[in-house]
Amino acid sequence: MEKIVYYLKIWLMMSKNAFLIWFAQSKLLTLFLMGKVLRFGFFITFLYFLLKGTDRLAGYDTNQAIFFFLTFNVIDVLAQFFFREVYRFRSLIVSGDFDLILTKPMSALFRSLMGGADVVDLVTIPPLLIAVFYVGRMLNPDFLHLIFYILLLFNGLLIAAAFHIAVLSLGIITLEIDHTIMIYRDLTNLGRFPIDIYKEPLKGILTYFLPIGVMITLPAKALMGLVSLPGVLWSLGLGVAVIVLSIKFWNFALTKYTSASS
Amino acid sequence: MRKYLSVFNISFQQEFAYRLNFIMWRVRNVIQVLLVFFLWDSIFSNPERVVFGYDRAKILTYVFGILIVRAFVLSARAVDVAGEVANGDLSNYLIKPIDYFKYWFTRDISSKALNLVFAIVETVLLFLVLKPPFFLQTNPLYLLGFVISIALAIFIYFVLLFITSAIPFWMPEVAWGAQFIVIMIITEFLSGALFPIDILPQAIQNVLYLLPFPYLIFFPLQVYLGKLGAMELLKGLSISLFWAVLLWFLMKSVWGKGLKIYRAFGR
Repeated sequence: MEKIVYYLKIWLMMSKNAFLIWFAQSKLLTLFLMGKVLRFGFFITFLYFLLKGTDRLAGYDTNQAIFFFLTFNVIDVLAQFFFREVYRFRSLIVSGDFDLILTKPMSALFRSLMGGADVVDLVTIPPLLIAVFYVGRMLNPDFLHLIFYILLLFNGLLIAAAFHIAVLSLGIITLEIDHTIMIYRDLTNLGRFPIDIYKEPLKGILTYFLPIGVMITLPAKALMGLVSLPGVLWSLGLGVAVIVLSIKFWNFALTKYTSASS
Repeated sequence: MRKYLSVFNISFQQEFAYRLNFIMWRVRNVIQVLLVFFLWDSIFSNPERVVFGYDRAKILTYVFGILIVRAFVLSARAVDVAGEVANGDLSNYLIKPIDYFKYWFTRDISSKALNLVFAIVETVLLFLVLKPPFFLQTNPLYLLGFVISIALAIFIYFVLLFITSAIPFWMPEVAWGAQFIVIMIITEFLSGALFPIDILPQAIQNVLYLLPFPYLIFFPLQVYLGKLGAMELLKGLSISLFWAVLLWFLMKSVWGKGLKIYRAFGR
């Protein structure tokens, strides 16, 4: 418990610093915020008119398809809010400044992963949650399915954390972060729609190998009553397994850090 | 002319200096196309279905066309110009006997040449794996219209990039932010790079057709698919040409004003 409070205090302090940096660049903050809202607005508009013309998408109606998209956004935005520091990790590695993090009395992984929450994403979280609540209510879920949804949403965030840790680890080994993280983003973008639209073997890859389906599609399906209890338990097990594997990969990557340029 | 040929060669070789970056960028393009491909493949799972005026062959040709036309139009090195204005690196070019616009246009063409080669290889591979039906245009009028519309699209995109890149003359801190909105958001969605514009209601389409964005990807692909009559083709090419000329003069004016207040911050 003491340790959790310790890290919570550190996270709040680092987040405050990250927010202050953003607020010092108010024009840039406004532009990025506008950009994110525009992107969301454009996509949902296209999706709405697409489904108006086609009626259903892989068997799902308009509200269900929009709910898949909103759930994708919740996990994507939360992951960007918490793990934005990953996007800045490369400079620490190539300059050797990562040495300074290794010597501090806190987990280097925690600092590298969660060292700078993103205020732009923070602003977009409340309206997004309201939209999820509004569209989700139209799907008439029962209490059990709502619990499944929330559990799997957290599980999705856990898998997102595992992906980010893997990107950091690869960054230490290869010095490449920028494109790896963007490829992760592109892969998760495949979850904007239910993974039922993909054919094998891509569907299998997105379900079992790169668990985008478990991360994004499954929570939304759970709210619609399409996931059983064993399915939920299996997904939670997978979430725990990938986070454990990613931490092992991080520990391995640390042994490869050369401290070059420092 | 010879110096621009040298710029072309050097720029082409530079792309190979950062091979991993380039390969990752191409991987990203393929992933983006896969999303759109499977979306439409799922909608057209019944091969007889016609939606928004597209049959299965035409919509999947549109999706593969995105990969090729993106390589032609949206791959550009000139995205770095905003950064050069913001950090003062522009000064290096102002003192050289070289035209800055021609320099970047040459670099863009070099980047497009390389991207196009890869896009063709990727298209062939994806074609072999996914085996989609393909609409092959054989009408020479439409093929000519396609080539002209692509040439105009390349020019419009280049000029749009340069206009956006001029913003840091006045606000150096927003160099990346302005590009994020104009290039990554507005252009991506309104050019038809994700969805064909004609799935939108007619009233919205009518407004969009007055803007330059649909003429970057959507219009050339409509020409290729033969979805336009002769008059519509001519009208579209005229609007493209109008935007190319208007944006060129706008770019000249904005850059003229920008260079007058340029102070080479960071140098």
